[in-house]
Amino acid sequence: MAKKLRQIAIYGKGGIGKSTTTQNLTAGLAEAGKKVMIVGCDPKADSTRLLLGGLAQKTVLDTLRAEGEDISLDQILKEGFQGIECVESGGPEPGVGCAGRGIITSIGLLESLGAYTEDLDYVFYDVLGDVVCGGFAMPIREGKAKEIYIVASGEMMALYAANNIAKGIQRYAKQGGVRLGGIICNSRNVDQEIELLKAFAKELGTQLIHFVPRDNIVQRAEIRKKTVIEYKSDAEQAEEYRALAKKIEENKMFVIPKPMTQERLEEILFEYGLMDLAAD
Amino acid sequence: MTEVKKKKKGNSIVHPRYGCAIGAVNTVAAIPRGIPIGNCGPGCADKQYFMISFENGFQGAGYSGGGALPSSNLGENEIVFGGQNKLDDLIKSSLKIMDGDLFVVLTGCSGELIGDDVGSIVRKYQDKGYPVVYADTAGFKGNNLIGHEIVVKAIIDQFVGEFHGKKKKGLINLWFEIPYFHTNWRGDYIELKRILEGAGFEVNVLFGSESKGVEEWKSIPKAQFNLVVSPWVGLETAEYLKEKYSQPFLHIPVIPIGEEQTTEFIRKVVAFAGIDNKKAEKFIEAEAERYYYFLEHFSEFFSEYWFGLPARFTSVGEAAYNISITKFLTDQVGLIPVKQIITDNTPEKYREGIRELYRNISDGVSLEVDFIEDGYLIEQEVKNADYGSSVPLVLASSWEADVVQELKGLLVPIGTPITSEVVLNRSYIGYNGALTLLERVYTATVK
Repeated sequence: MAKKLRQIAIYGKGGIGKSTTTQNLTAGLAEAGKKVMIVGCDPKADSTRLLLGGLAQKTVLDTLRAEGEDISLDQILKEGFQGIECVESGGPEPGVGCAGRGIITSIGLLESLGAYTEDLDYVFYDVLGDVVCGGFAMPIREGKAKEIYIVASGEMMALYAANNIAKGIQRYAKQGGVRLGGIICNSRNVDQEIELLKAFAKELGTQLIHFVPRDNIVQRAEIRKKTVIEYKSDAEQAEEYRALAKKIEENKMFVIPKPMTQERLEEILFEYGLMDLAAD
Repeated sequence: MTEVKKKKKGNSIVHPRYGCAIGAVNTVAAIPRGIPIGNCGPGCADKQYFMISFENGFQGAGYSGGGALPSSNLGENEIVFGGQNKLDDLIKSSLKIMDGDLFVVLTGCSGELIGDDVGSIVRKYQDKGYPVVYADTAGFKGNNLIGHEIVVKAIIDQFVGEFHGKKKKGLINLWFEIPYFHTNWRGDYIELKRILEGAGFEVNVLFGSESKGVEEWKSIPKAQFNLVVSPWVGLETAEYLKEKYSQPFLHIPVIPIGEEQTTEFIRKVVAFAGIDNKKAEKFIEAEAERYYYFLEHFSEFFSEYWFGLPARFTSVGEAAYNISITKFLTDQVGLIPVKQIITDNTPEKYREGIRELYRNISDGVSLEVDFIEDGYLIEQEVKNADYGSSVPLVLASSWEADVVQELKGLLVPIGTPITSEVVLNRSYIGYNGALTLLERVYTATVK
């Protein structure tokens, strides 16, 4: 029976932990026997560092610039931990050029080079934080990612960003097949974080698919250029990522999100006592 | 210590000879009842029209071409906030107001840079059964020759669609000159269609006055094979059709001019198709008779008017006309080619194949063709070519008018821009066109 490829895009506020979460959860999927490809959609090209053991990968756009259009897949596709295939789109340095156009070009090239092979179970698009132009929505255009997960924390700015991103998702969901699969909480140890996130997700019409606790082992693994599963397979945190992977594997709730107004968002924050509790 | 100064390769081009990829709006306008929709800035289509059509023999715009095509005229507002709504409105209005059978949205630089998801807008219309198609032809992708093939592929993908039926023997898809860009395309298509029909084929010409429009495009998958008559444009299309509809293709890189070439051409195509050649041979006989009737009469002028006739020539232009005309003049007329320059920025992968064609252009004649786009360099080459003691004959464009005047030579324009002639249905190819070409070249000598 032909494999059904699941294409998933990961969005969320810059610095919230998308790349870290994606790499850690895909390590879990690969460990469970899945064939995964990660496409980094960030000009920083840091979406595959933990799987490849470093930031050595030549990006699609750099390769295109150096060699022209006649390039082969093996120049840009590298195999990492547990056979996960890694690609970095790359892009311009800060302050110049147009990173969004870069993403369009590199994903287009991946398609034309036949990167989406029949043996793949999952393709994950790790997309730069603030979806500031059409180019960063390339992974959720028709024919690409059908599921989106937004990484957030209990911090107000993270939720504001998540809500904002939901507006873009709603637009694309209404004109195509992409859907929101859920919110992933990357904990920042905010007061009443889990309740807050559950309420936020509910308001959006989706689910808090998993709460990933804050654990410094993630940083210790990161500095060693590894995922937690590779660094310390029996760690509690490793189990969390395996659980997240399993939840994504089994997820059946896909919705068109209902972004809320700023007032409503602040109401929810107020409800969960963020404004009240702190007796400063 | 002697310092060897390294010659820095310049990257400036004066005297452009092609447009950018969105010039392919003209490709759509050339399909009978085809309506291009320019999803681009205000003026893009108009500029392309001038380079590819108006200043190229003063070819007109027709119903849906030139500056008359619907355009979203993207402004700053659309750049910042996205142009999808404007495009949506435009498609809606175009379907209402323009009378056409196929609407092709060509997205230019602006839309492609900001990442507008044009596909999702157009798909809405496709799902409702409207004949709308979209092509990503940002100017930065390349010149209009590249844009042409992008548009053709988009139409095949989205409009022609799937096909699993039987092929029709004797039906050919013709992949030939680029509409408007090749100055004599209208007359050339008429002549080539006439030749192929004379040989016993049914032809989907797809563009121009002799085409049945979308009916032909829809029947592309039914054709027995694809015929690419061009040095390189059209090859990608043919390869794609081979993959998509399992159609073989025959590639004839040199457009036939004159009796020998055209007769050989017909026989090649007939052999490839495996059809009965009786009709073709009868056609060849009749055409050859007429052709040599004229050539015989012409030979008096050619042999007697020896004062002022050119002996050596240079040819400057895009690959298709350049090689065909060079070959005809060298092989059939006996002129001596002294400099050949191809100006269309031929993709690297095709260049060696084209070089080989020039190296074997005629018995005992081997040429080294140059690929140059810069007008300054071209002028130098044309000026410094060795014309011997005869009057220089230069087949080029209106850009070369000055240098040809300096040389006191004869200019016969064969590619854009051509601002000294009005072109309607003339042709320089096939049986009839060869005679017109001779008329044109030798009229210049007696003017």
